[in-house]
Amino acid sequence: MVVGDVTTGTDVLVIGGGPGGYVAAIRAAQLDLDVTLVEKSAYGGTCLNHGCIPSKALISATDLAHRAGGAERMGIHAEPAVDLQGMVAWKDRLVRRLTGGVESLCENAGVSLVEGRAEFAGESRARIVHGGAGEGAESVEFEHAVVATGSRPTEVPGFEFDGERILSSRDALTLESVPESLLVVGAGYIGMELAGVFEKLGADVTVVEQLAQALPGYESDVAEVVRERAEELGVDFYFGETAQSWTERDEGVTVTTEREDGSATEFTAEKCLVAVGRRPVTDTLNLEAVDVATDDDGFVETDDRMQTSAEGIFAVGDVAGEPMLAHAAFREGEVAAEVIAGRPAALDNRAIPAAVFTDPEVATVGMTEQDAADAGFDPVVGQMPLRASGRAMTLDDTDGFVRVVADGESGFVLGGQIVAPDASEMVAELALAVEMGATLEDVATTVHVHPTLSEAVHEAVKGAAGHSIHY
Amino acid sequence: MFEFELPDVGEGVAEGEIVAWHVEPGDRVEEDQVLAEVETDKAVVDLPSPVAGTVRELHAEAGDIVPVGDVVVTIDTDGDAGAAGETGAADETATDETAADEMAAGETAATGDDRGAGGGEDGAAGTGQVFAAPRVRRLARELGVDIGSVEGSGPGGRVTEADVRGAAESREDADSEPAVTRADSADGAEPKPAVRRVGDGEAAADRDRTLATPATRRLAREAGVDIDEVPTDRRRDGEAYVEPEDVEAYVEAREAAETAAEPTTGTGTAGAAPGATGGTGGATGDAEAVTTEPYRGVRRTIGRKMAESAFTAPHACHHDTAVVDDLVETRAELKPRAEERGVRLTYLPFVVKAVVAGLAEYPVLNTELDEEAEEIQYKHYYNVGVAVATEAGLMVPVVEDADAKGLLEIASEANDLAERARSRDLAPDEMQGGTFTVTNFGAVGGEYATPIINHPETAILGLGAIEQRPVAVEGEVVARHTLPLSLSIDHRVIDGAEAAGFVNTVIEYLENPSLLLL
Repeated sequence: MVVGDVTTGTDVLVIGGGPGGYVAAIRAAQLDLDVTLVEKSAYGGTCLNHGCIPSKALISATDLAHRAGGAERMGIHAEPAVDLQGMVAWKDRLVRRLTGGVESLCENAGVSLVEGRAEFAGESRARIVHGGAGEGAESVEFEHAVVATGSRPTEVPGFEFDGERILSSRDALTLESVPESLLVVGAGYIGMELAGVFEKLGADVTVVEQLAQALPGYESDVAEVVRERAEELGVDFYFGETAQSWTERDEGVTVTTEREDGSATEFTAEKCLVAVGRRPVTDTLNLEAVDVATDDDGFVETDDRMQTSAEGIFAVGDVAGEPMLAHAAFREGEVAAEVIAGRPAALDNRAIPAAVFTDPEVATVGMTEQDAADAGFDPVVGQMPLRASGRAMTLDDTDGFVRVVADGESGFVLGGQIVAPDASEMVAELALAVEMGATLEDVATTVHVHPTLSEAVHEAVKGAAGHSIHY
Repeated sequence: MFEFELPDVGEGVAEGEIVAWHVEPGDRVEEDQVLAEVETDKAVVDLPSPVAGTVRELHAEAGDIVPVGDVVVTIDTDGDAGAAGETGAADETATDETAADEMAAGETAATGDDRGAGGGEDGAAGTGQVFAAPRVRRLARELGVDIGSVEGSGPGGRVTEADVRGAAESREDADSEPAVTRADSADGAEPKPAVRRVGDGEAAADRDRTLATPATRRLAREAGVDIDEVPTDRRRDGEAYVEPEDVEAYVEAREAAETAAEPTTGTGTAGAAPGATGGTGGATGDAEAVTTEPYRGVRRTIGRKMAESAFTAPHACHHDTAVVDDLVETRAELKPRAEERGVRLTYLPFVVKAVVAGLAEYPVLNTELDEEAEEIQYKHYYNVGVAVATEAGLMVPVVEDADAKGLLEIASEANDLAERARSRDLAPDEMQGGTFTVTNFGAVGGEYATPIINHPETAILGLGAIEQRPVAVEGEVVARHTLPLSLSIDHRVIDGAEAAGFVNTVIEYLENPSLLLL
């Protein structure tokens, strides 16, 4: 112990105040445990401060402006003027309100909040290093620890984020003016979401992607709808291009990419956004002190009770690996807290839904048809295109479809893929069906409101069950 | 499909108790992988799988006594079509395909399936997946039911709350009645009888490894309980899994046992609750006055052999005392030398050598009575059994050919055997073939005892504690190190004079350790 250290004791030390950490802290406090939550910068983590919430705020705002300006078909003639600083200020206000909300939720639950960076100093001891010089450090003796340090954007070698020319997703969400042109490296969900935002704000956006399609990992017909819409907006795509290097040139950047055959291409833009994934944050933790095992990609390994290889130490959220989703972290945090409190909890969910907030949105849950076949099911599929949906027409937004995958023999709903406006909302019904072990008939005989997009889910289910009416 | 019958895991073992399963249905097993621990009359042995494949069904539960030859587990061998348990991996390949991009999100949603409750065995369409509402899965965890093994009665085979409760109840029913009635065959090889039993547990388990949540571990720590001792029927990933209520039940049982063991001072009528006259009020009155533990395995073997010996061989006892100051000195001199060679030297090897000398002079104590053949068999070898107290009861590993071995050799061998007896790692044949037994109850304390002969041997020598005691020397009472000796003989074969002569010889050697050099 360093001279001047103060040692306190706690049942549960939660490291990181993002979605996984704060939920674990609140839940543990609800279960009468003494909880200390250490956060080094802002409550709510990446999700509230630099991810989900700010990006969705900008996506919704730019979409509103874009739609208002492009609704001549509906008899609306408008030319909305976007004041980006005003939009960002609005976004910052609601982020502040939400982070403040998280902080007071924790306090009301009886969680002790400590600002600083926590690192392990032994099997049951952590040091908390405070921000400024001279503020010293303190030690915490813990019975259990929950690692919830999250993730940070992956840096491509040679493309270190500088916030000026080479932007991370976090930088892009705080720009004060719209760049004239933007090169996006990576067509994953973050790249695709932000490409749409900046194109709608008037930037000339180009996307380069190493792999052969947008949204790699999703089925190609899903990704295709999103790419086609982006292209209609004016986004240019170049696939099979790997970013190699960049140089500053004439108030902008020139990025050189290389194809598999070795041929090089140059792309010039005012700024370059690099969005090629996220890496776990473990380097601040001094994990060596506690024998917590990590996998090849650096994620902390956990079992279905979020327990790491070190007794008494748990990990939740992005740092514990895929899926790196806030709602997965919520659930994991809850499980970890309940396990610590001695409850028979486990992360036994059949599926964790995922959404991409592109235009149109993509949302998936459970198995694809291929997954189901691989798992030994005899899958049946029902698909409803949005162009057959009355509600989609009234929204003037008919690109996309709802697809439902079920087991042909038993009728159990196994999964679904939705490409639609508000797909992220629609997927909840299918997630419930998958989680409950509902059959196609269960969903098909449930009455859905007309006219809604949820009817498309209903219709797809009826299609899979072999008796669709409207399509 | 391979039906694995319980093999004769010892020599001439008729049945075994399944102590713990290391696998559960759906698990992949390799050839020679340990399937279960089986406790026989003689030892706890590992049961290796003779084939590779996937476990289909366990036919006995931990705690069941199974006759040799009964099927204990069925295994879908690798040749079998549609072996369960393989399908889970398919989901994960989706995750692997995800590129170096954040897009893994959608795909990894499927990995949740794999973590499904209980690992999932006989789910829909043989896919190894369980279909049940989250509430039902939680209930299964709370009741300790492996939901994968529950047959669903809902639409499409969905597992309902009633299915899970039914499974929990039927399991409890099964637990409450013996799964196998034992055939009471009194024969079967010669397991070592026990002479003495040290310590008394309350059905404490004795595992090397226990799964439990940190909160449960803390509960156990706070109650001063070793979590490896807490009995449980729960299994998770094939290992014993302890829940908080198991710890609480164990603590209560232990407290109840302690309460019951306290002498009651009351003058009340028989049957009055202990403590009723004390000031502790109703609390102790509510505690169980009597707890039970199963009379099984090693304990029962000890009991049976004790009865057999006591009611077969008329015991006669001979007590005497050796004055062993010289032995104490000799041993103190040799001890550091032995340590240099990595051997902990106790008095036992000296006693064993003295016993061998006594047996050589009085061969009738190294015999066995074959009543059927109407013969007394004289053994011309000296295999000395050494009784060792273990948590499970008394074990008697055998030091073979003690006459041909040196002190150090006997010391290191006896140490090793004793250690492995305590960790229950002895092979059955290491407890067989003895011709005479030494029991060192003095390690715990005391002077004289009445050892029960390790039948069919005909004599046993008990050792008291070596301590300074008053000895009369030339009319003066002086303090001397003495070793009290208690010899029991089978009076059918051996007479008192021979017993006394044997003990005299042993004393002579113990009092003059230099004789051991001869």
